[in-house]
Amino acid sequence: MNTSLQNAYHVVFVGALVFLAVMLLLCFIRAVKGPKVADRIVATNMMGTIVMVIIAILALLLKEGYLADICIIYAMISFLAVIVLTKVYMGVYREKKEKEERGK
Amino acid sequence: MILEWIRFIIGTVILCVGLITFALEVFGVYRFHFVLNRMHAAAMGDTLGIGISLIGLIIFSGFNFTSLKMLLVVIFLWFASPVSSHLIARLEVTTDEELEKYCDVMPHETAE
Repeated sequence: MNTSLQNAYHVVFVGALVFLAVMLLLCFIRAVKGPKVADRIVATNMMGTIVMVIIAILALLLKEGYLADICIIYAMISFLAVIVLTKVYMGVYREKKEKEERGK
Repeated sequence: MILEWIRFIIGTVILCVGLITFALEVFGVYRFHFVLNRMHAAAMGDTLGIGISLIGLIIFSGFNFTSLKMLLVVIFLWFASPVSSHLIARLEVTTDEELEKYCDVMPHETAE
């Protein structure tokens, strides 16, 4: 009696996962193509957001509640990755600039 | 039984709105040609896209700890996304030597 509802849930979840996988691939192409460093960081941030939605859908599809915890930790780590990457690239740029000024 | 179906349909509609927001985000990132324009489109998915998608999933899941954790993810991203966007914009403004070609900037405000 309840199997038709379960089938409908399954179809919606798998369809959403396929759609998000295509979006993830497009974001990855943008991250490879991006001409500047900031482009790549933006694309990486977008990939992190899409992966969070995929993990949340999997938590409901597989009926495993602990995957939502992994979603929270993924959000924190992707935020930390953006901060560390921007700080590192700004430091690299400043060192290069100082070296150029010293060379003159 | 009929209530379950109503919940399923409402959740599916809200989840589809979130997925369309992600599609618009990716379209905007391909459409624009400069980083500071692209970031405008990319920040939309961080807050609006994941917010609407996870609200749809919360309606699917009902009132339990899994949905509470998903709500925590949304609230965390509301705080984290503006900060990371600000840092990326500052990286671009600091490191780009030819920023005047793309947008009007005041000379003293670019220096960090």
